[in-house]
Amino acid sequence: MILLADVVAPSPLVLDGLVVGAILFALGLVGILARRNLIVMFLCAELMLQGISVSLVSWSRHHGDWGGHVLVIFVLTVAACEAAVALVFVLQAFARTGRLDSAAWQSLRESNLSRTIDHELPAIDTVPLKFPKLAPAGIEPAADEDAALEREHV
Amino acid sequence: MIASILPSISPGTLLAGGVTATAASLWLLLPGGRSGAADRTARWLGWLLGIVALAGFIATGHRLGSVGEEAVFLTVALVAVISGAATVVSRSPVYAAIWFAMALAGVSGVLLVLGGQFLGVATIVVYAGAILVMFLFVLMLAQPAGLAPYDRVSNEPLLAAVAGAVLLGILSLSIGRLTAEPPACCLMGGTKAALLADSAAAEPATAAASGIDMLADNHVARLGGELFGRHLLAVEVAGVLLLVALIGSIAIVSRGAADAESAAARRAMP
Repeated sequence: MILLADVVAPSPLVLDGLVVGAILFALGLVGILARRNLIVMFLCAELMLQGISVSLVSWSRHHGDWGGHVLVIFVLTVAACEAAVALVFVLQAFARTGRLDSAAWQSLRESNLSRTIDHELPAIDTVPLKFPKLAPAGIEPAADEDAALEREHV
Repeated sequence: MIASILPSISPGTLLAGGVTATAASLWLLLPGGRSGAADRTARWLGWLLGIVALAGFIATGHRLGSVGEEAVFLTVALVAVISGAATVVSRSPVYAAIWFAMALAGVSGVLLVLGGQFLGVATIVVYAGAILVMFLFVLMLAQPAGLAPYDRVSNEPLLAAVAGAVLLGILSLSIGRLTAEPPACCLMGGTKAALLADSAAAEPATAAASGIDMLADNHVARLGGELFGRHLLAVEVAGVLLLVALIGSIAIVSRGAADAESAAARRAMP
């Protein structure tokens, strides 16, 4: 059987969708390689899955069949399973080390790799956060002592 | 537009410039252990370079039919890409999750434009409604107060940014080649070409004319028919997979709790 799509050039919309999918995939790859927070790494993996979904739907539009759509539905299913199991692992890792840091598990690295050491850490920005405040209006209500006993803070 | 303003720039140069700008932008934007004013300057420069790289990609992009279609696609694609970049480079994981929700909105728009009506809605419902909320729950359970040290540094940001940009360059190069004519070597002499010509004459070649219209009224019904007809076994397997994931995660949690209790008991014994 000869696939006609092998010779018919994709439409501009399909090509643009493929480019968007490629950009999302590359961004997710950079995040998974560079970031240290386990949860951010998982978000980046989900970003890569989104790029794949966009590419699959583009090809589905090009070929004019439902294969890509059905695959994306299965990607959604597997992503939900993966997120459930992986987040449980992340929680267990946090319970053991108290950090969401992938470098906390660097004792599992290959023996020929050097150790990750944080040499100098940047200082936290000390600019205090500003929150909006309501102007005082009306009279101050009398304090209800029973309510104050019931709960420490709202 | 941009390509006509700068007619002297060849597509290859544009692509190389775009890849370089993407790599530099991602390297500057990723948390790199800088502090204070240097970090702010680097982030400004990074966003500027990112805009330059995006302009390059838009310039090499293909013109869609109408201005309205182009504007809609450009808007949702830019929302998806910029929010995706912000997800990757956000220092705080909570902000990263919120930006990821924004990127999901953009992706769902792109899916809608591409004709995936059901998938556009399902992405919002399943991802933003369920998976992202799960992420935020775990963040609330596990995130220490303030910015953790490991959120302010990256693993090899320069190498990661270059790797991602090079991958993006290769992908867009091969996507650009899709419009070219197939090379003569792959047609295997005259027979396949003749066959192609025959079948192309026998049935219409484009997707729009091949009888499956993605934008039909009964889109969801057709997708459901395909899913529960041809892919019924896969649907059953996916159901089993969901059940296994549910049982597995509960088992891991309760096992971990038992371990923690026994460890606490061992600590309390002496």
